[in-house]
Amino acid sequence: MKTLPNAIAGGHLLRRREFLEHTATGLSGIALTALLGQQGLLRGAETGTVSGKQPLRPAIDAARPFAARAAHFPAAAKRVLVVFCSGACSHVDTFDYKPELETRHGQPLPGAERLVTFQGEQGNVTRSPWKFRPRGESGKMISDLVPRLGELADDICFLHSLKGKTNTHGPGENYMSTGFTLDGFPSAGAWVAYALGTENENLPAYVAIPDPRGTPQNSVNNWGPGFLPAAFQGTDFNASLPIRNLDRPAAIAASRDVGTRDYLRRLNDRHLERFPGDSELAARISSYELAARMQLSIPAVRDLSTETAATLAMYGADDTGNPLKAAYARNCLLARRLLEQGVRFIQLFNGAYQTGGEGVSNWDGHKAIEKQYSVHGPVFDQPTAALLRDLKQRGLLKDTLVVWCTEFGRMPTFQKGASGRDHNPEGFTAWLAGAGVKAPFSYGSTDEFGYKAVENVVTVQDFHATILHLLGIDHERLTFYYNGLERRLTDVSGKVVRPVLA
Amino acid sequence: MATRHGRTWSLMGLIATSYGSRQAMTEAARLASPRGTMPPVSRFLAGVFCVLSVAWSDGAHRAFAQVAPAAAAPAAPTAAAPAAAAPAAAALTVAAPAIDFHRQIRPLLAAKCWGCHGAEERESGLRLDRRSGLLAGGDSGEPANVSGKAADSYLLHLVQGREAGKWMPPDEKDRLTKPEIALLAAWIDQGAPWPLLPGETADSVTKHSGTKHSGTKDSGKPNQPVPGTTSASRPSQDVGDDSSRPTSDHWSFQPVRRAAAPPLANAWGGNGIDAHVGRTLQLRGIAPNPPASRADLIRRIYLDVLGLPPSPDDVERFLADGSPAAVADLIERVLASPHYGERWARHWLDLVRFADTNGFETNRERPNAWPFRDYVIRSLNEDKPYDQFLREQLAGDSLGAPVATGFLVAGPYDVVKSPDINLTQMQRQNELDDMIATTGTAFLGLTLGCARCHNHKFDPIRQSEYYAIQAIFAGVRHGERALPPPPEWKSELDRLQTRAGELRSALLPYVKPGGKRPAVNPRENEERFAPVDAKWVRFTIMAATSAQPCLDEWQIFSGERNVALATAGAKASCSSSLPGFAIHQLEHIHDGRFGNSHSWISNEVGTGWVKIELPAVTRIDRMLWGRDRDGQYVDRLPTRYRIEVAVEENRWRLVASSDDRQPLGNEPLPVAYSFEGVPADKAQAAQSWLEELRAVDAKLTAQRAAEVAYAGVFQPPGPTFRLFRGEPNQPREAVAPNTVAVLGRLAIGETTPEAERRLALADWVGAKQNPLTARVAVNRVWQFHFGQGLVATPSDFGAAGARPSHPELLDWLAAELMDHGWSLKHLHRLILNSATFQQSGRPRPDALAADGGTETWWRFPPRRLEAEAIRDSILAVTGALDRRMHGPGFSGFEVELENVRHYFPKKQYGPADWRRMVYMNKVRLEKESVFGIFDCPDAATSVPRRGRSTTPLQALNLLNSPFVLQQCELLVQRLARECGDDPPRRVARAYALCFGRAPDPEETAEALAFVSEAGWEAFSRALLNSNEFVFIP
Repeated sequence: MKTLPNAIAGGHLLRRREFLEHTATGLSGIALTALLGQQGLLRGAETGTVSGKQPLRPAIDAARPFAARAAHFPAAAKRVLVVFCSGACSHVDTFDYKPELETRHGQPLPGAERLVTFQGEQGNVTRSPWKFRPRGESGKMISDLVPRLGELADDICFLHSLKGKTNTHGPGENYMSTGFTLDGFPSAGAWVAYALGTENENLPAYVAIPDPRGTPQNSVNNWGPGFLPAAFQGTDFNASLPIRNLDRPAAIAASRDVGTRDYLRRLNDRHLERFPGDSELAARISSYELAARMQLSIPAVRDLSTETAATLAMYGADDTGNPLKAAYARNCLLARRLLEQGVRFIQLFNGAYQTGGEGVSNWDGHKAIEKQYSVHGPVFDQPTAALLRDLKQRGLLKDTLVVWCTEFGRMPTFQKGASGRDHNPEGFTAWLAGAGVKAPFSYGSTDEFGYKAVENVVTVQDFHATILHLLGIDHERLTFYYNGLERRLTDVSGKVVRPVLA
Repeated sequence: MATRHGRTWSLMGLIATSYGSRQAMTEAARLASPRGTMPPVSRFLAGVFCVLSVAWSDGAHRAFAQVAPAAAAPAAPTAAAPAAAAPAAAALTVAAPAIDFHRQIRPLLAAKCWGCHGAEERESGLRLDRRSGLLAGGDSGEPANVSGKAADSYLLHLVQGREAGKWMPPDEKDRLTKPEIALLAAWIDQGAPWPLLPGETADSVTKHSGTKHSGTKDSGKPNQPVPGTTSASRPSQDVGDDSSRPTSDHWSFQPVRRAAAPPLANAWGGNGIDAHVGRTLQLRGIAPNPPASRADLIRRIYLDVLGLPPSPDDVERFLADGSPAAVADLIERVLASPHYGERWARHWLDLVRFADTNGFETNRERPNAWPFRDYVIRSLNEDKPYDQFLREQLAGDSLGAPVATGFLVAGPYDVVKSPDINLTQMQRQNELDDMIATTGTAFLGLTLGCARCHNHKFDPIRQSEYYAIQAIFAGVRHGERALPPPPEWKSELDRLQTRAGELRSALLPYVKPGGKRPAVNPRENEERFAPVDAKWVRFTIMAATSAQPCLDEWQIFSGERNVALATAGAKASCSSSLPGFAIHQLEHIHDGRFGNSHSWISNEVGTGWVKIELPAVTRIDRMLWGRDRDGQYVDRLPTRYRIEVAVEENRWRLVASSDDRQPLGNEPLPVAYSFEGVPADKAQAAQSWLEELRAVDAKLTAQRAAEVAYAGVFQPPGPTFRLFRGEPNQPREAVAPNTVAVLGRLAIGETTPEAERRLALADWVGAKQNPLTARVAVNRVWQFHFGQGLVATPSDFGAAGARPSHPELLDWLAAELMDHGWSLKHLHRLILNSATFQQSGRPRPDALAADGGTETWWRFPPRRLEAEAIRDSILAVTGALDRRMHGPGFSGFEVELENVRHYFPKKQYGPADWRRMVYMNKVRLEKESVFGIFDCPDAATSVPRRGRSTTPLQALNLLNSPFVLQQCELLVQRLARECGDDPPRRVARAYALCFGRAPDPEETAEALAFVSEAGWEAFSRALLNSNEFVFIP
């Protein structure tokens, strides 16, 4: 009986790598066809786009779908962190200061006396339970609900005039995350991963970090691939929830695991000899090698034990008095570590529907906003502020774009017969910080009550176009052909909000 | 050019469509009557300057509308004929002088509009150099002008800057002055007369230039009409005035033409497919591959057609079959397998975005969606004619296939409703759009959904036609429908129903007096009873609408005082409490706070009790209880309950119950009978009738429950309106049901009943004359066999889609399909028996260089199996596969039964999970934790072709998931069972099971060496992860 030429563990990696590099470069034309030709992309290009601009397609190598790819033009930001407060965080209780709510407290909202919003009739204009104070050199008025973030006011560019299209959470989250209210469209992160790949192929290009309490209302569609190849969907894990099936099963010894992969590789190599040059087969072989590298890199990036006590304290990750805050703080730390490692796009969620909607464990303060936000504010504020501060002090903020958003805003009134605010997509706040962003700066505004965006209205498409622009992507040219359309993140509209660019 | 008008405008303008121009020409031709040819110019001179003197205001044109009502006749030739129009206007008022088009309006249009909306440029598909263009409007779908009604004229809105971002002309210095606008308004109010000059015809007002898109040229030959089939029992599908129908010369809108198979220089292949493919290969100078090996061929055919690998016996039998018909026989066997329907149903279910949940944030189950899945499987296995298959899905309720209309409502449904009317209307529009868009793309390869907000950018589909199709679906609502029972059940049902009637009559004298109270409702329910003393009060729930029942607050009144409150000293206890939710706690039952966030939920599905102990014996007479006083939640509502009181512990006395309430929805509750005071013998007889009645009712209920399907509910449709920009709060003119004019006309109208509308559409879709249906179908079948279609954009056969790589082959296949009774199996036979399909998949450098994408089919392109086929194949080789067909599905998740459903990966698997994946409940948006990442669609929209991505997470799932590891163990057990302790035999058996072939000696040696170090489970794990296992060779 013939014996194996190589021991089970270790082996012929080098020879195989050389082979794969050859297949990846020498046959890249075929590889491209294999991955993109699937939706008739290459032919779709003949017809052009609705915008009139020709699509700029990422050159995706099927063997290395996550390889870093060039942007359309030089970019300010290399990577993005989106902090998403799910449940619709009230702008009039955080970042959008409206003195008129004090003055007209207890009076009907002029012109909207009979307004019916998501949950029904509206009561009177109600001042925020939190005091607003000037913060930073700029004197930006920010409420006591988020004092630590307030300290960073000078690093932030506020957009106070966002306008949504729906007053329901699921569609609202979809809108902010994918640009469409309906399910099934690719998330912004999936578009970015599709366009740019990632700088560290040993980690997922796109990571979604759910809140310690669970997932947001529309759950996985916030980081779904829609009709893009599934490779570009967000991989969800956080500091307490590992990637499924990442680890070698406990019952299988490490050496046996490595040996099995080597044997598998021999099976695949032999099979490939029958189909020399077939890119899909080669791509699948390389995916197993990438998986093996991820098994090392992901536990390493999730291991927070190397963080100093001072860092843990800064984030609040050591706060035994507020375990929820500590858990969210560890997610913030994880986000920073992923950014350091070159992950392209991260969504960090604060708030979950899963363990209690209607403001219990998210920002949906319909009935008892003061009581509920008094829980959420401290959980959110210190860790998020520390994350921003930490990115800055490590120099990461220079080429990282930080985005804070929520699905929509809340009413300046309290709901009839309740002590909370109903949904309000007519005007709300988001902010940007970091790479390529002007700060301190405030752009756009709502009316005197914070009810409707009135000045320099920013649509969600504008917001997305701006994010893509900061990443060096022309939002009108990043397209994917699907069911008869050159689809875009920004659908058929969106313009870059140039005044917020540094 | 597209950016000339700035951002917003540029979206509209890429490619002009001149659809409608034929209609427009007819219109213009009418206008060019001899009488109207050359008006005396002098007639129009009077009063011109009066118009100019009218002070412009926002409402100036309205003022004109009021003073010139006679001129407001809509688009009638007389209104446009100046000889008639001018005197009419003059007779009414001197303030409305007739406008001279050629002196006053034409120069204005030429100077301000024609640069972009004339013969050369047609920005946004609009041309204003002829009257027809003015009437038809551009891409917005909005007529530029409503003749005689300046106030409604979109053109006027645009030049007045009343449409945000679209102030025309875009350049500020070109804008119309107020007098110019007033002049234009006056002209429109007078019916926008457009007299032709000598030598002009309606369509030669300015030079005619070609459109920018070849697919939508209006100069093409007229199409064949596409009538629906007619029969005596249905309204005939009159094509109407076909001369007024627009035409197109786009390839896919032309009739299917069956070209003779071209003769081949060599004798490659046997059937028409090979003749067409072979000719292209010859022209391209590429040689086809040699035939695949027998072993590869059987594996390919099984995986492709059945989604399961051949068993070692299947392979052996085939390899041993020396008959010349061996391959053809194999193909027949495979096509006769019921697994064929399961495999190909999956393709169809992707296309029709089928799922077993609603989607959106709550993503609740649709427990009765599966009958539609079974309908698809059965239809395919029966080889139901494809035209009939489509017809039934649109109008099965009229065609004896009621389950088939599950297609209409297979898409997502937003159940989160609100008092906000804008939200409700938009939700409804989205539901209808889902039906329209899916019908268009899946059945016709036509992107109808693109015309929701404006005219289609690429294809001749007007926005008004989108709404004409919406009018067909306007009566379709999401929901379950009771289906007529199958005929074989009928006599039994009749018997039971008759018997139930007899028993009810006999029991009539014993019905407990008193009418029924209203059914329970989720918000609040009142119980009143004669005052009674109580120390303990108990609420026992026997049934609920869903899941574990919920009560948000239970108030027990003594006079006006709620004595149940904890603050009043009452104590609560219960049978159980749903664990893990701060918002659902026992204490909330009497905390004085309302709503879901302060509620109690039992931990028992459908049942549970809660008990309140009052601080002292108290006289009570009234109670209030609800599931959610806020009205947000309607689930978990108790439907059958008893409320009892006790003064001494455990000596309960009933004070209220659900027995005297009306039944809720479909849930039948028995009428209460009382035998008090009836002589014993009579009472005994009545009692036995009652028992029999209950048994009969139970049988009837069970039968009815088995015949409910999520197949839509049909209601009489109201009027349908075209919506400006697709916005529900901007309705325009009413639109009658019809289809896309360029492809045909339906003989239905506003008064046609709901079902007949869909039937008319179904007949049109399924007509042989419809040029799209068969072409789209054969392309899909080809694609599912070869991994890519003859048309690379399988759901877009319009102008923006790809052109066919083999147009003649596509038409030949379409003709074959129709000529053979729309038999899909006939099509499969043709493809599977072709030399094209049976080629080797091996790449050749010369051919790769010439055609790397295999568009000429010089080989069979190998491809990775889809998620379902990988999972099913694993189960098949380990022997775990449960081949039971049909019926309710199994769950791929652990489901958390909250209002918003949460789907968690399963931790453990057993035989209940080992059916084919087509029977796994399809959860919208959620991907099954092991196989979902292999590009399973999310069922949000129609998916014509799955991606085939390759990611490390796929590798990790196949390597490490408990599901696969368990199957590895089962494979090892199978090898031990079948081969004993004979390692080489085990290796050979594993290769036969997993790869359908014998290992060569070197492979055997390597396997044995590996097994000796790592064991059989590791060996199984490697095989199930290998490329050879998951690729179609």
